[in-house]
Amino acid sequence: MEYILEMNDICKSFSGVKVLDNVSLRIKAGEVHALMGENGAGKSTLMKILMGIYKADSGSISINGEPVTVSGPKDAIAKGISMIHQELNPVLDMEVSENIFIGRELKTSGPIKLVDRASMRKEAEALFQSMDIGINPRTITRYLSVAEMQLVEIVKAISLNSRIVIMDEPTSAITEKEVQVLFQQIKKLKEQGVAIIYISHKMDEIFKISDSITVLRDGTLAGTGRSTDLDPDKLITMMVGREIKEVYPKEETVIKDVVLEVKNLNSGKRVRDVSFRLRSGEVLGIAGLVGSGRSELAETIFGIRPSTSGSILIHGKEVSIRHPKEAIARKMAMITEDRKQTGLNLKTTVEQNISLVSLGKLSKKGIIDKKKEAEAAENYMKSLKIKTFSRKTPVVSLSGGNQQKVVLAKWLLSEPEIIIFDEPTRGIDVGAKRDIYLLIGELAKQGKAVIVISSEMPEVMGISDRILVMCEGSVAGELKREAFTQEAIMNYASARGGKRA
Amino acid sequence: MKTRKFLAVFMALILVMAVFAGCAGKVTEDESEGGSKDAPKKFALFMTHMSNAFTIELSDAVKAQAGELGIELTVNDAAQDVAKQISQIETAVNQGVDGIIIEPVSVDGIMPGVKMAKEAGVTVVIVNQQISDPSAADAYVGVSNADGGEMEMTKAAEDIGGAGNVAFLYGPMGSDAQLGRLEGYQRVLSKNPDIKVAFESTAEWDTAKALSLVENWLQANKDLKAIVAQNDGMALGALKAIEDAKLQDSIKVYGLDATPDALQAVKDGRLAATVSQSTTAQGTEAMKACYAIASGETVDSEILVDFTLITTDNVDEFLK
Amino acid sequence: MSERLGIERTRWKDNVREFGILIAFVAIVAVLMIISPDAFAQPKNLIGIVKQASINGILACGMMFVILSDGIDLSVGSTVALAGVMAAHFAHPDTYPVLIPILIGILVGLGVGLLNGIGVAFGGIPPFIITLATMTAVRGVALIASGGSPVYDLSDTFNGIASGFIPGTIIPILAVYFLIIILVSGFILTKTVFGRRIYTIGGNEVAAKVSGINVKRMRLSVYAISGVLAGFAGVLLASRTISGSPTAGQGYELDAIAAVIIGGVSMSGGAGKWYGTLIGALLLAVLANGLDILNVSSNYQMVIKGAIIAIAVLVDIRGKSRNE
Repeated sequence: MEYILEMNDICKSFSGVKVLDNVSLRIKAGEVHALMGENGAGKSTLMKILMGIYKADSGSISINGEPVTVSGPKDAIAKGISMIHQELNPVLDMEVSENIFIGRELKTSGPIKLVDRASMRKEAEALFQSMDIGINPRTITRYLSVAEMQLVEIVKAISLNSRIVIMDEPTSAITEKEVQVLFQQIKKLKEQGVAIIYISHKMDEIFKISDSITVLRDGTLAGTGRSTDLDPDKLITMMVGREIKEVYPKEETVIKDVVLEVKNLNSGKRVRDVSFRLRSGEVLGIAGLVGSGRSELAETIFGIRPSTSGSILIHGKEVSIRHPKEAIARKMAMITEDRKQTGLNLKTTVEQNISLVSLGKLSKKGIIDKKKEAEAAENYMKSLKIKTFSRKTPVVSLSGGNQQKVVLAKWLLSEPEIIIFDEPTRGIDVGAKRDIYLLIGELAKQGKAVIVISSEMPEVMGISDRILVMCEGSVAGELKREAFTQEAIMNYASARGGKRA
Repeated sequence: MKTRKFLAVFMALILVMAVFAGCAGKVTEDESEGGSKDAPKKFALFMTHMSNAFTIELSDAVKAQAGELGIELTVNDAAQDVAKQISQIETAVNQGVDGIIIEPVSVDGIMPGVKMAKEAGVTVVIVNQQISDPSAADAYVGVSNADGGEMEMTKAAEDIGGAGNVAFLYGPMGSDAQLGRLEGYQRVLSKNPDIKVAFESTAEWDTAKALSLVENWLQANKDLKAIVAQNDGMALGALKAIEDAKLQDSIKVYGLDATPDALQAVKDGRLAATVSQSTTAQGTEAMKACYAIASGETVDSEILVDFTLITTDNVDEFLK
Repeated sequence: MSERLGIERTRWKDNVREFGILIAFVAIVAVLMIISPDAFAQPKNLIGIVKQASINGILACGMMFVILSDGIDLSVGSTVALAGVMAAHFAHPDTYPVLIPILIGILVGLGVGLLNGIGVAFGGIPPFIITLATMTAVRGVALIASGGSPVYDLSDTFNGIASGFIPGTIIPILAVYFLIIILVSGFILTKTVFGRRIYTIGGNEVAAKVSGINVKRMRLSVYAISGVLAGFAGVLLASRTISGSPTAGQGYELDAIAAVIIGGVSMSGGAGKWYGTLIGALLLAVLANGLDILNVSSNYQMVIKGAIIAIAVLVDIRGKSRNE
């Protein structure tokens, strides 16, 4: 009776490939249990088994010591398990109260059962009060922030009398301040004896919030223990199976002339009076909180979003960039933040994605030279180690890391001098991350000028020569490699750092 | 943002202009001052649509007669939408018309409009297609589709000597004209048991559809003697298919409506015959009847205008 | 390992999707040949089917460009009518050389296409809405321009554009236009940078823009292509029916969409092969021809056509769902 949830020796295979091999997970009531591991380590498969979406090949699940079988998400909820997904999917045009009671709407008494909005609002109100959350249940969900929607999901889980709540990367899309609110709520849940399975990649969060940690690697249990007995280095070693120094390889490069100069650049309220210089052979990191205007700055430089004033100079000459095609003509490249939305054409092949930007080079009088195109694709598939069946494979069937490499190949083929990476390693596993860090170092070594935007503090510190920290659309501070510390960056990012550098 | 707004306005303007241009010829024709104080002077015509030669000829005839009578006539185009036609009738009645002439979009669907107008004391004359409850209106002016079909088919049966294979091209299945004209064909078939219907299908009044359809039929080698189409548009399509296949000497084509291009084809000896529904006469008679009833006179509740068979012999009378 | 398995399954499915329609087409032709050996199966009839597929096929070519770019063009049927009417006005005997009415028809189509393209690309109006608007307005203009009745009495040279055969053969000239247009379309879509970019904007508009493609100009181009082909189809229809009818072409947009969809082009753009559209247009014509010859009632023909469209779309959706 010590554990509220026990998953013992779970095995699961898909088409003969073992994705979970004798994995166990034991969770106590009132604890936050972090579940970690690279993408593809088996975390989501394990959670899907818990929610009854998949059936385990072998192994057992017990709740409060009683063996159970979970037949599906509905059954899981009935057994007190609920999941707050990474991508929330509430009905945006419904009220908050309606979303909380969706699928189990309260009905009026009497012969004709009507939806009882008044009671639903009242109960939702009571729930919010008990949790000390300031959301009006009558608000239309569309107008909530992502963090508020998450809180609504938590309230929904509580209203379902859940004893076990799974949170899948709950902080991936919310600001620092909102994270604090979320953590307060998590603490309240703990006090009520609710167990929380917390899936996240963010080290600092894990150590702030969790009581114990389980790490998966390649479908096996890599380790489990109290948070107090572990540290980030140990965790990374567990996850990757190698030392942290190898994760951020940083080579010395020769930094030469200024290639790109941005002067007093503005774009509405999102980018304010930004100036900086970028030299060849340099990796410039841009740090800052979500919403600090980092991506917007990159988009303005690249011509995706219009600049309202200011100038951009390349090799000392002022240029006008109003569309990405003009940026590309100036030998710029931009690996955008969201590869599925803005980086790839998922409806076509690896080859056609790689050649996209460089079709001009690969064609004669508008007719594509298929031989050249195939050669180019094959070259980059080899040099970037893109794991794919062939160049004709639909890019959609590749893993996240390999898709990202296709985006990189696309831009490298255009032979750029200035390369902007916006969150280049988001959602890809540690192995592929390392390949990308190596590539960034290699590009700098070749004399390219590189900008890397990243939310992951260790990453941006690990690979940059210099870091610009942005806050509310403007540059709040600049740090040289010697001066990199998390505290310094956070100070600037949260506008506590005083004057601009 | 600015260009977008401008474009939206621009598009809207084009649409509005198109609508106005489309109405130009049809809106209030005669704002004449004629008519004594008590005599009825405001009338309205409700057309199913204004998109073919027939409806235009019909409305022109009504307008011409209205001009002669010196009365005011508004013409409405329902664009084949019965709900629209009813609301157009409501609007006209509310504005105080003395009489209305309706070419109904639907013989059943129009009944509420007819009843509403009658209750408001407005004279109602139905033209071209009889409504399902004739007693609801004051008079009907039109033709019997069955008689027209019979006239067309009789000529075809005579020409092929009362025996052989024929094919029928229908209007939209289930429409009044399709059913009525088919009834006329069947009357003739029952008197000529040696005539066999080898093919029958709808081409929805459309020339191009009839053309493809007949091309396909000709592949089946059924030794057709005649193709009888329920309107001229389809007849001309059939004719083109037959001429392309160089079979014009063995297959005769018959149409109905007497449209200008069909009349020309009859004159050139290509189309064997067409039938005039006497469209102008329908329009004229409808306006006359509506005016007479509104003035307190009595007329027959059903005024049928005769069809006329048009062949090479008499086609010159109809060609303008 | 699992990745590899996944890929092989994908390829197998892709093949079914790509060739399924061809197999269905061959099967339908074979069945009709067996049922009707001395009418349907005659070479003259089989070639005649290509002729009957031509006008819809030409419209479908234009529609394919639009649908691949994640758009739709509902105005082609009305454009056929207006182009036909306008061409016919300039095609009376002993007036203008035959090139004039042809050019007039094509220019009318180009005009409508540009209007659609400007609305979509620069006005940000959803394609369905803007082409619905032009569909209605253009039909009205066709009725105005013709006074509501067909324009007839056209010159023999004009009437000859769409009738007749290649001298010394049984190949109808209309089929030649269609085959040339579909082959050129296929060439553009598979071999040129322009064609690749159409797929890209249909596949992911934002990624296309980021990759330096002028999405607005591309959109304008596809609607212009669709308009030009509709204008040319209007000229051919007027020539074939020896009259320019303002009521011609009603519902042609739906037949063109049907041909494209049956041919496996994704309704959401970005995927589909040109020869699918060829087969789609031929399939519709084969069905109509075969069923007409067998004297199957048009009511049943509608049911069969609807069923085939539904099956084609089902295959499309199933093909897509594996991507999720």
